[in-house]
Amino acid sequence: MDQTTDIKIVSRDVHVYYGENEAIKGVSLEIEDNTVTAFIGPSGCGKSTFLRCLNRMNDTIDVCRVTGDIELDGHDIYAREIDPVQLRARVGMVFQKPNPFPKSIYDNVAYGPRIHGLADSKADLDAIVEHSLRRAAIWDEVKDRLDAPGTGLSGGQQQRLCIARAIATAPEVLLMDEPCSALDPIATAQVEELIHELRENYAVVIVTHSMQQAARVSQKTAFFHLGLVLEYDETGKIFTNPDHEKTQQYITGRFG
Amino acid sequence: MSKHIVTAFDAELQSISTRISEMGGLAEEQLSQALEAIRERDSELAAEVIAADVRLDKLEVDFEEFAIQMLALRQPMANDLREVVAALKIASTLERIGDLAKNISRRATYLNENQPIKVSSSIVRMGNQTRLLVSEVLDAYAARDTALAVSVWTRDVEIDEMYNSIFRELITYMMEDQHLIGLCSQLLFVAKNLERIGDHATFISEMIYYVVEGRPLGDSRPKGEPLGELPLPRPFHG
Repeated sequence: MDQTTDIKIVSRDVHVYYGENEAIKGVSLEIEDNTVTAFIGPSGCGKSTFLRCLNRMNDTIDVCRVTGDIELDGHDIYAREIDPVQLRARVGMVFQKPNPFPKSIYDNVAYGPRIHGLADSKADLDAIVEHSLRRAAIWDEVKDRLDAPGTGLSGGQQQRLCIARAIATAPEVLLMDEPCSALDPIATAQVEELIHELRENYAVVIVTHSMQQAARVSQKTAFFHLGLVLEYDETGKIFTNPDHEKTQQYITGRFG
Repeated sequence: MSKHIVTAFDAELQSISTRISEMGGLAEEQLSQALEAIRERDSELAAEVIAADVRLDKLEVDFEEFAIQMLALRQPMANDLREVVAALKIASTLERIGDLAKNISRRATYLNENQPIKVSSSIVRMGNQTRLLVSEVLDAYAARDTALAVSVWTRDVEIDEMYNSIFRELITYMMEDQHLIGLCSQLLFVAKNLERIGDHATFISEMIYYVVEGRPLGDSRPKGEPLGELPLPRPFHG
């Protein structure tokens, strides 16, 4: 494509089990830095489950077991010495439904930097909050009411606030699980524009059910089906001439 | 290819092929009649071809609207997307073939008012060959037959060679007898139009290949030599 890319995350033969049920059946994937990677596939294909492996969100589910290797910058993120909380500061996440804390707009963004001790002073913290809100393209809309509750914002604003919160800890990777499915088209466009800008500094991985959204925002697309990645390629290739019959059927809306 | 979950989408895709075939049939008929008007020195038929061109133009405008609606409303992907985009390009190519057939008919009107010369029969042969390629490429489209499409694509070189030979012949006539310049120029335009139609047929071949295979056919198509050496004018003796 237009710029050289380094590999940010490598997964090798990753399996995920929920009790007896094998949700991911051996996924090996390389996720590039400064690239938006889209995961697409029908419901239950494992794309969200796999996304959650990338910052160990699945650790919170008792019956969930992950095997195989996932490396961030060459280091195993499931290694004994890795603190999942520290990991999640490096690998941020934005969810389907905007979920701001029941706190002020300011405190929503300041929360992560505070618990990770990223600011030495109030001025530092102010700067991080402003920078994050600016990066999330919501600063102008909230700068005069930073003390107002985050839950009082519109859906689209809440989602951008959550993105600001996710990037306040200066992560390297941003995981987004259907970040626009609860948003109207204008808010969606704003978030997509934001994703486009975030790519300069982060590896962004987005799970989406919208083919058009995957096509619009990503450079690489992985097609998940029944716990496997059937096809992983340049987004332009996937949407004009996919190699796999199942990919073709899925993206063109045919019976599979 | 399995069916779409939304059945109306399948119906619209089917309609694309039907409309292209209809336009193709009309373009082929226009070409056929234009050639007949030349062969039979039939100015009345030539006038009919000229008048009928608006039908093809109308079909193209309608098709374009239909295809743009489909892009906007269905947002086709992968092979469906290739199908719609290729059809848009094929439709405008067929419309141009129609324009060239009309232009040939215009020349026919002039030619019919003058003495026939020997080269006319070479042009008729070239016309038949061109029409055959157009007909075959339309069959290839209807059947999504890439082998036939590639065959048309490679055989256009024969048309190019016929054109070059007619070109040389006409230049020779014009140098021999300057009274023939007007007539030969008209014939040259007819030959050039046929040569262009052959090129359009190869373009449709490329579109068929793209629809089916998802990648371009490439640019290694055999082409006729550039005109090469022309007969030299006789030295002028003052």
